[in-house]
Parts: sequence; structure tokens; C-alpha cells
Amino acid sequence: MDSLMKKTPLHAWHCEQGAHMAEFAGYEMPLWYGGGIREEHMAVLRSAGLFDTSHMAVVLVDGGGSRGLLQACFTKDLSRCVGKAPGPLVTGRAVYGVFLNDKGHVIDDALVYMVGADRYMVCVNAGMGSAIASELERHSDGRLSRVTDLTGSLGKMDIQGPGAAKILGTLLADPDAVFATMPYFSFKGHFDARAPESGQVHLKDGSPILLSRTGYTGEFGFEMFLPLERTEELWTSLLDAGKASGLCACGLAARDSLRAGAVLPLSHQDIGPWPYLNHPWDFALPWDAERKGFTKQFWGRSALENPSEIYFTSPFAGFDPRKVPVGETSAVLSEAGKPLGIILTCTTDVSLGRHEGQIVSAVSGTLPEGAKVRGLSCGFVRLTVPLSPGERVILTDGKRKIPVEIVSDIRPGRTARCPMQTML
Amino acid sequence: MKEISQLVLPEDVKYATGHEWAREDGDEVLIGLADYAQDQLGDIVFVELPQVGDSFDKGEEFGTVESVKAVSELYMPLGGEVVAVNEVLEDDPGLVNSDPYGQGWLIRIKPANLSELEGLLDKSAYQDLLNG
Repeated sequence: MDSLMKKTPLHAWHCEQGAHMAEFAGYEMPLWYGGGIREEHMAVLRSAGLFDTSHMAVVLVDGGGSRGLLQACFTKDLSRCVGKAPGPLVTGRAVYGVFLNDKGHVIDDALVYMVGADRYMVCVNAGMGSAIASELERHSDGRLSRVTDLTGSLGKMDIQGPGAAKILGTLLADPDAVFATMPYFSFKGHFDARAPESGQVHLKDGSPILLSRTGYTGEFGFEMFLPLERTEELWTSLLDAGKASGLCACGLAARDSLRAGAVLPLSHQDIGPWPYLNHPWDFALPWDAERKGFTKQFWGRSALENPSEIYFTSPFAGFDPRKVPVGETSAVLSEAGKPLGIILTCTTDVSLGRHEGQIVSAVSGTLPEGAKVRGLSCGFVRLTVPLSPGERVILTDGKRKIPVEIVSDIRPGRTARCPMQTML
Repeated sequence: MKEISQLVLPEDVKYATGHEWAREDGDEVLIGLADYAQDQLGDIVFVELPQVGDSFDKGEEFGTVESVKAVSELYMPLGGEVVAVNEVLEDDPGLVNSDPYGQGWLIRIKPANLSELEGLLDKSAYQDLLNG
């Protein structure tokens, strides 16, 4: 492997475990461990999986102008984004959105966390910390704000799956207090012992972490941010604590198949250098109630109002596990053979099957008798015409032709939004 | 990922550079995927095999194996007519991972020219190939 590749604080652990390693966004990361992708994918659905996500980047935005700066840059309207009303972003809550350039193309997607008054944390993808930090600085326009790129100075891991809270709880100093009020997309604590919130979440050894009820698998769980030097200890302690309940370390391959089945985009693959419109992630844009215009100014707004190109991105699901490798020769065709667009993601969600045409999950508890689960191909296609759920298209690499169905959702019975009390 | 030293490399099969194996069995030959290839691919989720009666030349594509991450073509280590395919793989493709030289075999052929077997690699030559 290229020695110039960046490494997370868990790199040596991954190698010792014999993980299949591969380059991802400049980092040498585990694709899967000895048990294989199927075991890892199923562990997240049945018990829990632990992912090294330390390659992701954190940027802090502080100061009296910080909220205004983020509101001017990020797609999500920070004054209307929490709850059903919806209300403004408040301390302890996080929101998903994207940063667009002046063409309306995606620079990166991100979670913005409101840590406190005039204090925000932005979590972006691997290798994007410095790009987002410099864009934010460039647009600060004299606003009183300080932007700090923490790339490479934090550890991060995600515990995902229905058993996540029970396992994590055994390592927390006061799990009852931490879990008492922790809705989806809320967070507590801080990775920096000097921060006033750092008292909210402690591990039993006293070290503070930032614990967020978020993740990227579509399943119940948490993301944890902590000091670099504490990362391996928490990682191995969690694996020990969860061993009896089926927790296993998971690589990027299981993360990819889980997120695809959960209809979550991979930045720079499913969203990228084309106008950020007509896709399943419309909730990241600040549409008004009539869905005719936007409620605020943000980077890329005028390009979205007058797009130079129009594409339609849709999730799809196959009828068996067969896939088409995404590459230069791959394409989406109509059943009559007419070119319709390109394949963005094509993977296999091994937990899925079809029963009387409907997508069924091996773990949702609703698997009809006699239904076989062999896995289904799924992912995203970007088309030049809009298609409706139920319509069929053909995926091809020039040789194979795999029929798939445009769908509105993929993996049934996802647990991400389950109330905390039902998971303890 | 298995180290080269951890790979199962039986002596009673011949190996192709594309990591298929061939085992002589009377006047027929059994064909499968070598341990190295299944380890690199990861969990196999689908195996697409030809029909009994199909004929292929040496080096011709006869099917595909798919893991969660990748689709990989299978090439004939020697030419011949397919006399049986491993139908168990339809329900249990993971046998290619768990028992690549046994229950995870792919096809059985009647070779057009059994001497093509001699052109394949024995264990030590295959090990040299893997060691680069």
C-alpha cells in the first residue's frame, strides 16, 4: 500500500485483524474484516456494528457571526429545521444539509451541530475539512467568526444497530442521564475537556466524548467524537463490551451497502458536480411550504433557480443480487433499449429479498413464510427524464443487462428513528 | 485479507492465471475458483453459470461471480463442454467462500483437449504468481 496514504488512529488495529484495506478519499481504510461483509451488514441489523469513521473531518465555527455565516452558506435553513413546526436549530441538535458552489453543484454534504450559543461543529467527509474551512473563511465577509479545521486531530467511531445503546451504556459513567432525553439528530457532551458541555457525557474512565444520535446506516445508533489518543481504547472496550451481544467491527463495504439500502447518498458519487435538484434528499433544501421557492439565501441558490442542466436521481432495487459494476461503459436503458442516464451506486443489500414483488427484509420480523432472502441489488441512478416508482429500467455495463425497478424506498423496517426508550 | 502463506492451495488441482482451478476427474474436469480469488472478492452473493451442454474454448468467459462489492468474470482454464453445473450455489453462493475446492465447485466439463491441463500452473508455479 502507498505509504503516503493517510491513516486513522485505528489503522494498526485494522491491519492486525487482517482487514481487507483499500484507499478511500486518501485514507487507507478497512473494507471488511475476517467475518466478511454479510456478517457485518447483518450484525448492524440484528445487534450492532462498530465503524471507524475517523477519516471524516470536523470543522469548528465560532463567534458572533458564526450562525449567520452557516445560514448564508449551508442549504438547510437554520431558522426552520427542528421538529414538525419546524423551529430553529438549538443547542444539542444537528441538521443534515449540503454546501453548494455557485453552479449549484455539491461541494460536500455535512451535519451542522449547534454546540452552544455562537458555537457550531460541522462534520464533513474525508479530505473535505480544509476545502470547507477555506470556503467558509472566504465567505465570512467580515462576520465575527473563527473557522478551525480539526482534520486529523480527532478520533471518530459509529456504533450502529438496535443493540447500540445497551452496549455503549455499559461504558458510560451515567448512561441513564445520557439516554433519558436523546431524540434522533440530537447530541450531548464534547470531545474537548475544556468545553462547558464536556461534563454531559463521560466514559467510566472519565474521558469526555461528544455523543450524537446519528449515523449513516439507516439504523439506530450513535456517532462518537473523541480525542485522537483515546480512540483505540474506546474502540477495543466497545468491542469487548459488545462481544456477547453480537457487536462486530465493520468496514466501509458494509457501511456502503447499509447506507444504499437506507437511501442515503455517498457524497461525490450520488451527489456531485451537477445541480442539486430532483433527488430523494430534497429535505436538505430550504423549500418554502408551497415548494415553489426558497426561504433563505444560500450558496448555489440562483443556480438552482435557473439550472443549466436537469437530472433526476432515483433509488432503485433489483429483483435478485445481480449488479452492474459502475464504470465508463455502464448505463441505464429503458426496457426498449433507449439510453436514460447513468448508474451512480450499485451494491447488494444482503438482508433483502422479494416476496410477491415486494421488498422484504430478513430481520424486520415481517418476513412472510417461504420468502427467501438472497440479497437485492440497489443504489441510485441519475436519469435525463423523471421516472415514477414501479417503472422498470435496465442496468448495463455493455455486456450484462440487469432489470431493476425505480423505487421510493429500499430497506423496510429501518430502526434509525426508533424511540430511545424502545432500544434500552 | 489472507497472507499468501494462509491460502489453501491443494496439490491435486491446476491453476489458471485468472485464479480458476481445474481438477482432473476420470475423463472429466471439475472447475472452480481459487482461495485467493474468493478471499479478494469477499462474500459471494451470486454465481451465474452456463447451461449444461454449452461449449467454451480455453480462455472464454463462462460465467460471473458477484460479491457485495464486485462482479468478476469467470474464464475457462481449458476448453470443453459443460456436463454439470453446481446448482447448490443458487441457494448458497457462499460455498465458494467457505469451501472453494470442495462444495463450492462451479462446473464440470468434458474437455475438448485434456492436454490443455498441462499448460496450467501447478501449486508452486501458482504460488510464484501470487508472490509476484
